[in-house]
Amino acid sequence: MRNAGTTILDWGKVRFFLGEVARSFTRNKGMQATAIGTVAVTVAMLGTFLFVREILTAAGGELLNQIEISVYLQNGVSIAQVDDLRTTIAHDERVAAVDFIPKKQGLQELRSRLKGQVDASILTENPLPDKLRVRARDPQDVAAIAAWIQTLPRIATVDYGQRIVQRLLQLGAVLHRVGLAVIAVFLFVAGVIIANTIRLTVFARRREIAIMQLVGATNLYIRAPFICEGLLDGLLGASIAVLVLVAAHVALWPRLLEALPFPQLASAGVDAPLLIVQLFIAGGAIGVIASWISVGRYLRT
Amino acid sequence: MISLRGVSLTYANGVRALDSVSLEIGKGDFVFLVGHSGTGKSSLLRMLYREIAPTQGEVIVDGIRVDTLRQSRIPALRRHLGIVFQDFKLLSEKTIWENVAFAMQVTGAHTKEIIRQVPRALDLVGLAHKSRMYPGELSGGEQQRAAIARALVNNPKILLCDEPTGNLDPQNTTEIMDLLGRINLKGTTIVVATHNQAVVDRMRRRVVRMEDGRIITDEERGYYYLGLGQGQILSG
Ligand SMILES: Nc1ncnc2c1ncn2[C@@H]1O[C@H](COP(=O)(O)OP(=O)(O)OP(=O)(O)O)[C@@H](O)[C@H]1O
Ligand SMILES: [Mg+2]
Repeated sequence: MRNAGTTILDWGKVRFFLGEVARSFTRNKGMQATAIGTVAVTVAMLGTFLFVREILTAAGGELLNQIEISVYLQNGVSIAQVDDLRTTIAHDERVAAVDFIPKKQGLQELRSRLKGQVDASILTENPLPDKLRVRARDPQDVAAIAAWIQTLPRIATVDYGQRIVQRLLQLGAVLHRVGLAVIAVFLFVAGVIIANTIRLTVFARRREIAIMQLVGATNLYIRAPFICEGLLDGLLGASIAVLVLVAAHVALWPRLLEALPFPQLASAGVDAPLLIVQLFIAGGAIGVIASWISVGRYLRT
Repeated sequence: MISLRGVSLTYANGVRALDSVSLEIGKGDFVFLVGHSGTGKSSLLRMLYREIAPTQGEVIVDGIRVDTLRQSRIPALRRHLGIVFQDFKLLSEKTIWENVAFAMQVTGAHTKEIIRQVPRALDLVGLAHKSRMYPGELSGGEQQRAAIARALVNNPKILLCDEPTGNLDPQNTTEIMDLLGRINLKGTTIVVATHNQAVVDRMRRRVVRMEDGRIITDEERGYYYLGLGQGQILSG
């Protein structure tokens, strides 16, 4: 009957609840700092890991997209036969584009590529065969397309950097699997540390908790402030981690890009807002789950 | 209102605190539980609000089967009871006002209602002027009265008091017992475990006497000592 008419928001309750959270949060600052620090370190590592993974995936994808199949033709193939080959290859669904690169153009490309490194004028005779440059729609199909082209007539050799393609594809798969495992381990370790930290604050208040239960407080009622405390720890830790990561990204990333010999990395973008949201969710979730577990131990009467 | 049938209790350390106790307490009854220290009075009360479950027997409080009650239902049971604990059990980090208010907050009471009821309860036990103090700043008797105010604030149907006057001076004792008498007149069922002979002999209510975990007598209008009023001891 007392509950009748409580549809209007009871500010007294809200204030009481916030007071409880604040009291519990400021009660032991040392422990709170430990919990927040743990979350910050974990989330920072998690963030770095996710960032690197995404960059590598993006850069790898770009590399794969640049992979082309060089099809070298036998000597003395006629223009008509080249056209024939081109149409046959281009007709395949997996193929995105086919370009014909005659000997002369191939030589020019080689010269400009070697400029300054080797004196290209030593090439008095053109040693290059005619070639077709084939691009695949999906990097996964490169190997299959190359194998198929090899079976066509008047083909000398087919080359596509087999090793690179296979490595990149493998790397992608491994990163994905290892990534999930590493994330799970990170979160677990952080969870355990926070659970222990919060358990200490709960332990200090176990008498109080017992009394609350004796006057009829439900477990949820007793839990709520602790859960909020855990959430607060998690979110504060995550904010620190995000700040550090953003600062590090701004300060270090451009220099790192210059130092590393992979121009593909520069264009590989990361969805920063999404990543930040993910990190906050991770931090908050660790805090909530850890505190839920550690309070639970003291609620069994 | 309260019914115990063949209730036995053995603590984890092997102490047999209650031995096939059966007891019926009707609505609006006022019952004194008396007996030597360590005879099982507190243990009996603890079973009523399910701080412990009996090893054997049935416990029914306000129609609720308490001995087999599920954990999740225990808070609801306790909210229907007013309990004065032998060791007060006040929250040391909350003021007296907050301690009393807390018992209402857990029931989901509206803040307006809390603000109305808490001063009233504190006034009844004569503690209104100390409502902002913490339990540690109060004397034993004042803490006891704060505990009584907390037990009363929800207007419970059943009031369980474990030695509610143990720390009170005679005048305070009389005032508190008069208060309990008035509350009982309004229909509240009251069970009081006590060693206070003067209180029992003055009130002349139902007296349940225990010894070694058993109920040995149960009188409608009894004295603290079996069949004897204070005057008879003095004159005899
Ligand atoms: N938590 C416990 N664990 C083990 N034994 C207990 C526990 N609480 C009480 N006992 C034992 O149970 C018996 C009854 O204790 P109880 O507290 O019910 O006595 P009481 O009648 O309330 O005594 P008093 O008048 O001194 O308050 C005692 O022998 C006591 O040692
Ligand atoms: Mg006792």
